[in-house]
Amino acid sequence: MFVVIQFIPNELPPTTQQNTGDISTSGLVSKEIADLLKTSCYSCHSNETNYPWYSYVAPTSWLMKKDVSEGREELNFSTWLDYDTTKMLGKLDDISSEVGEGRMPMKIYTLMHPSAKLDETQRASIVAWAEETMDKIAEEEEEEEVEASDN
Amino acid sequence: MSNEVDELQKLAEIPFTNLNTIMKKLLFLAVLTLTGSLFFQGISKQEQEPEPNLILSTEAALPDDVKAVVDKKCYGCHNANSKNEKGKAKLDWDALDGMKKSKRKAAMGEIAEVLEKGEMPPKKFLENKPEGALTEAELATLAQWSSGKKK
Repeated sequence: MFVVIQFIPNELPPTTQQNTGDISTSGLVSKEIADLLKTSCYSCHSNETNYPWYSYVAPTSWLMKKDVSEGREELNFSTWLDYDTTKMLGKLDDISSEVGEGRMPMKIYTLMHPSAKLDETQRASIVAWAEETMDKIAEEEEEEEVEASDN
Repeated sequence: MSNEVDELQKLAEIPFTNLNTIMKKLLFLAVLTLTGSLFFQGISKQEQEPEPNLILSTEAALPDDVKAVVDKKCYGCHNANSKNEKGKAKLDWDALDGMKKSKRKAAMGEIAEVLEKGEMPPKKFLENKPEGALTEAELATLAQWSSGKKK
């Protein structure tokens, strides 16, 4: 059985390491936050996924494919600059509640990757960052609107 | 002891017609309370609705066409008194107006995304209530507004 399921085709989402639209190029993240996101979120929420050996072995490969593609669709830090401001705000609001209320990173992920676990301080700093950044984006947008109406 | 027996005897002696009138009275009372409560609900709703409009700036208020769709298709689950806990937690239209700009915009971004993916109203809900689906025009109205772009 185990051998048989290895022959079921399962293509993992592709990875790219250099992404020009990455959130780290947006000026919205400090080094500290960027590192936290990289360690705890990037495996599913970016194109920089590091696939461990069991990603290539069914049935874990199926789970990996599902989680990574769903994760990227929900939020992809590698293509952050493609989001418009309203979307960015929505994503940040979700980050704040998902991380703040402990739903992310997912248990099944931290079980296999203990280094991705966030302690309370790290959780709090991600939440604080998300909230601050939302205010910042909203303010900048308001300034732009005022400028646009002045011209 | 003998008192109790007396009472039991009295109860047993109540003629059937009497019981019938008691039941009728009870039924009347029930109907009265029900209509009464409906009436009061109607009143309190009328009183509640204009309230937010007094507080908020015109910018924050929903455009009329958006509000019409929301009231018809979304508000049933997404309101402050909703029994649908998940729906209320994700989005509460009653709270939207009181939010600071960044949070309100974030909610709009999340609404835009949910609509793009066709996730709302939920499929399970529509199985029982197919008429609850958004028409193309309604969807366009909500999508246009939630995208945050000016017409």
